[in-house]
Amino acid sequence: MIILRVDLKSPAPVYRQIVDAVRILLVNGDLSPGDALPPVRRLALDLGVHFNTVAEAYRTLEEEGWLEIGRRSGARVVSRTVENRCDPQTGEAFERRLREMVAEVQARGLPRDRIARELRLLAKTLERS
Amino acid sequence: MSTETMLFVPLLILIGGLFHIMPGLTRPDLFFAVTVAPEFRRSSAARRILGRYRAIVWIATLIASGLALAAGMAVAAVLLQAIGYLWGLVSANRAVRAYAAAPSSVLEVDLATPQERLPGGLLVAALPVLSLVALGLWVGFHWDRLPRRFPVHWGIDGADRWVNTTPATVFGFLAVQAFVCLLLAGLAWGLLNWSRRISTTGAGAAAERHFRRRIVQLSIVCEYFLACPAWFALFQPAAAAMNAWGLALAAAIVAFTVSLMRGGQGGSNATVTAGTAPVGDHTPDACWKWGLVYVNPADPSILVEKRFGIGYTLNFGNRWTWVVLALLLVAPAAGLILLR
Repeated sequence: MIILRVDLKSPAPVYRQIVDAVRILLVNGDLSPGDALPPVRRLALDLGVHFNTVAEAYRTLEEEGWLEIGRRSGARVVSRTVENRCDPQTGEAFERRLREMVAEVQARGLPRDRIARELRLLAKTLERS
Repeated sequence: MSTETMLFVPLLILIGGLFHIMPGLTRPDLFFAVTVAPEFRRSSAARRILGRYRAIVWIATLIASGLALAAGMAVAAVLLQAIGYLWGLVSANRAVRAYAAAPSSVLEVDLATPQERLPGGLLVAALPVLSLVALGLWVGFHWDRLPRRFPVHWGIDGADRWVNTTPATVFGFLAVQAFVCLLLAGLAWGLLNWSRRISTTGAGAAAERHFRRRIVQLSIVCEYFLACPAWFALFQPAAAAMNAWGLALAAAIVAFTVSLMRGGQGGSNATVTAGTAPVGDHTPDACWKWGLVYVNPADPSILVEKRFGIGYTLNFGNRWTWVVLALLLVAPAAGLILLR
């Protein structure tokens, strides 16, 4: 099972949630090159959202180089090579977003030890991959 | 008492019985078309609402049966029973809204779920239509072998409406039959491709898939049965063949209906765990009018699960639904014009 989870009450738009969720599945290796994603219509029907919402998410992932969208074959995962470069701007943006996110969830009442546990877990996953 | 009345009154009581059990067939976290906590059904408030609904249904059924028996007013009896059912449902729906629960806002989709396909493929669904096209071609080449008149309607005692054999009546009759078959094939295809899947993970998904497949099979079986009258009309076999056809069709519908009812709406019997956030059917309560009519322009689905009863209903907020409805009106209208 490859589960895509979307929260309709989340402040993040559904299109963004789809992009983020599929990207996590791709980075974690749950989706591999050659795997097909559901057709836009099918996923939109199951989520109860407009076709354009799913199409936009797929297009974003295509632009990022994760997917190849064919007229007949639909969306398919492609192998994507990323240069292991040290871009200072990317690093800074990542650090800033991470700090913002930690502050936000802390402000919303998530206990510090829980946040630390999640970050450790994430770090371990990264080290293993 | 006429034979019709003797058959009609038990039919009213049977329908009353179906209305009686209908609230128990819905998904466990839907009660009278309102999203509720799964354990709400067992509460005293739920039992009181259910009791009132059933009392209204049975009072209407008894008065309708009395009308049919005493005055032979069949149409009025059917209308009265339907009004009683609707009144009971709408008042129960209003009462349950006070206990509505916020459904889970989290949707899960298994991206690895395979696409569901028509059983036997497209050819199996298209065969009845193709057989009628073949019959039309045969008729074109063997016009002299056709009877001078042919039946276009059948009752309990056999054919009760006949028309003269002309190109308009023959080809019109075949076209209407083919159109009905096409609609049933379209319904089967639409259920697989244009309906909302509520569960795509776990046991609920498997049960729902099974439920949907049963309805698709029922549509295709009915399509095969409904292609037969065209052959009966033009070749006029013995009455026994027609009776066997009628009995077999009724038996198939009853068998499928019983199977669907046993599984509950969407195959949902016992798939919801008490204490969890209700999932419902992922459609907003506010989009259901009187618990029966679904109007949601933001939902791309054309077909969604009914919230009360078994099967699917149309999303009247989708403009394609109106195209489907217009097509549904074309067949009877064409039939009336061509077979006058």
